[in-house]
Amino acid sequence: MGTFGEYIKSALSSIKNNKGRSFLTMLGIIIGISAVLIVLIIGDGMKATVNSEIDSMGASSISVSLDDTKTDKKFTRSQLKDIEESIDNIYGISPSFTVWGNTSNNRGEAFELYISGESEASETASGVKVLHGRYYNASDVEDGKQVLVISQTFARHIFGYEEVVGETLDVTAYDITKEFTIIGVKEDTPIDIAFAGFGEDIILTASGPYTSLAEAFNFDVDDMFNSFTIYLDSENRNAVLAKTRSVVENITGLRGENAVKISSGSGFDETTNSILDIITSVVAIIAAISLLVGGIGVMNIMTVSVTERTREIGIRKSLGARTSSILTQFLAEASILTFTGGVIGIIFGLTVSFIICRIIDFSFSVNPVLVIVVVAISTGIGLFFGIYPAKRAANLDPIEALRNE
Amino acid sequence: MKKLVEIKDVCKIYNPGENEVRALNHVSLTIGEGEFVAIIGQSGSGKSTLMNMLGCLDTPTSGKYFLHGQDVSHMTDDEQSDVRNREIGFIFQGFNLIPSLTALENVELPLIYRGVGKKERDRLARAALKSVGLAKRMTHKPNEMSGGQQQRVAIARAIAQAPPILLADEPTGNLDTASTKEIITIIKRLYHEGRTVIIITHDPGIAAQAKRIITISDGMIKSDIINPEYKDEI
Repeated sequence: MGTFGEYIKSALSSIKNNKGRSFLTMLGIIIGISAVLIVLIIGDGMKATVNSEIDSMGASSISVSLDDTKTDKKFTRSQLKDIEESIDNIYGISPSFTVWGNTSNNRGEAFELYISGESEASETASGVKVLHGRYYNASDVEDGKQVLVISQTFARHIFGYEEVVGETLDVTAYDITKEFTIIGVKEDTPIDIAFAGFGEDIILTASGPYTSLAEAFNFDVDDMFNSFTIYLDSENRNAVLAKTRSVVENITGLRGENAVKISSGSGFDETTNSILDIITSVVAIIAAISLLVGGIGVMNIMTVSVTERTREIGIRKSLGARTSSILTQFLAEASILTFTGGVIGIIFGLTVSFIICRIIDFSFSVNPVLVIVVVAISTGIGLFFGIYPAKRAANLDPIEALRNE
Repeated sequence: MKKLVEIKDVCKIYNPGENEVRALNHVSLTIGEGEFVAIIGQSGSGKSTLMNMLGCLDTPTSGKYFLHGQDVSHMTDDEQSDVRNREIGFIFQGFNLIPSLTALENVELPLIYRGVGKKERDRLARAALKSVGLAKRMTHKPNEMSGGQQQRVAIARAIAQAPPILLADEPTGNLDTASTKEIITIIKRLYHEGRTVIIITHDPGIAAQAKRIITISDGMIKSDIINPEYKDEI
């Protein structure tokens, strides 16, 4: 070990004696390492930021449907209840169907209506905000109360103002006209605005208990739904996803038929994450190429160094240096160069990525494993690219080497 | 007198085939412990090849070389390195110091390769430099010293670990008259201290300083005489 220390020492002194050249060699490694580090850290920061934004949305949904090419079963009302009770950590589940109808205001203007029939759980869907009155509740659904929650736009077009809780409205659909009581007005979502604002006709949007809407317009609630939505908080998504299939298959008696399709809501986080991962790895590969170029720079400079110091190698050999001693000395030199370059690169990379993350408001976090791996890689590059010149040095014939001027 | 170097019927052939060069042609030679030998020859006579052979920098094409009773004619590079480190102190014409190292560090080099610990190394190197009169120049680098001083550093390096043989290849070839005298004096003193000294030279004046003179020409030993003019004084 004492001898090894001597090799390190002589490697260090040779680096010191060629300061300018050593620095230029290291520069390649510094740029390569810091580029890789910056890309990976900013990639992580981007992912963490996007994820925390998705999580902060809170509400999330999973949709479950039956594949109609595999089964002609439908979800009955009691099955839906059983499913809702069997899955923990959810706000609730809701089937969904749409009633296309029409109505008119007291000035005789006619409007098309888009009414979705859902359960009270749909209140927890993201973007639902009741401004006046209330959303329909479990007993409204249970009892099939003929009530509606309408959008702001809806209220303004029909009644001319927004606080219309308690008003009634005649809805005509499928040649049936029924009277509904408005129990709540909710804030317009982009969808509500889009329905009302684009296209030739104004379409007004509302939502009501699926039980009452089915009853009012003669649908059979036990033979109409082949899909439903689970409403939940996004932090419980994975736990719920893990359980859903077996619960649904058990309750519907479709075990082993592969007929239950689960799509995890919008699938937003998975998709975004995998896209972000792809972007990060592509850029990281490009950065890694610069690291490779840096490594070739090390090989180049070591080759020059060996050529320049042929005589020194000859002297050392004549004094009793073994092949392995020379090899160690030059490998130590290459590794120290790249290790030092790596450490500087890490400091530089961390600083730059910290500043960038600050500026574009990404979360900055450093995985210590990443830093260790990066240091190991940079030293490894030194060893790998140092081997060829070091071997050349070690295998020099001492007589030839001594003759070299 | 114990045999130190024993060369038996050694040939060294370069470019075997039609244009072969016989640098050494059936050379046999014995050198005992404590001898002071000069090997003299013109350039191309084979003296450099003989010196490389004696210094275990090269191996013979045929024949045997026993050093200290050990057959060193067929060895791997690393085994040769170990033998050189243990048995031979080189003094070269061009000094062959490493320019980036101080005098002390240069003298320590063979000790490092031998695995001598730091303290002991430092002690031996300082003692060797003192014995060649360079106690005050230990931290100087080669380019801060005169040729004579550099050669003295090289001698200190050669004797620091007390190898049995000092092998000097034209030790004064690059030096002025004053320095030459200085170096020859040191070499003679080392001989008087009981070391075996082999000087390779083309200069009859230098060869005349040795006790035994071997003349080599065309790869063969032409004469091997006890120097009648040898003066046993320093």
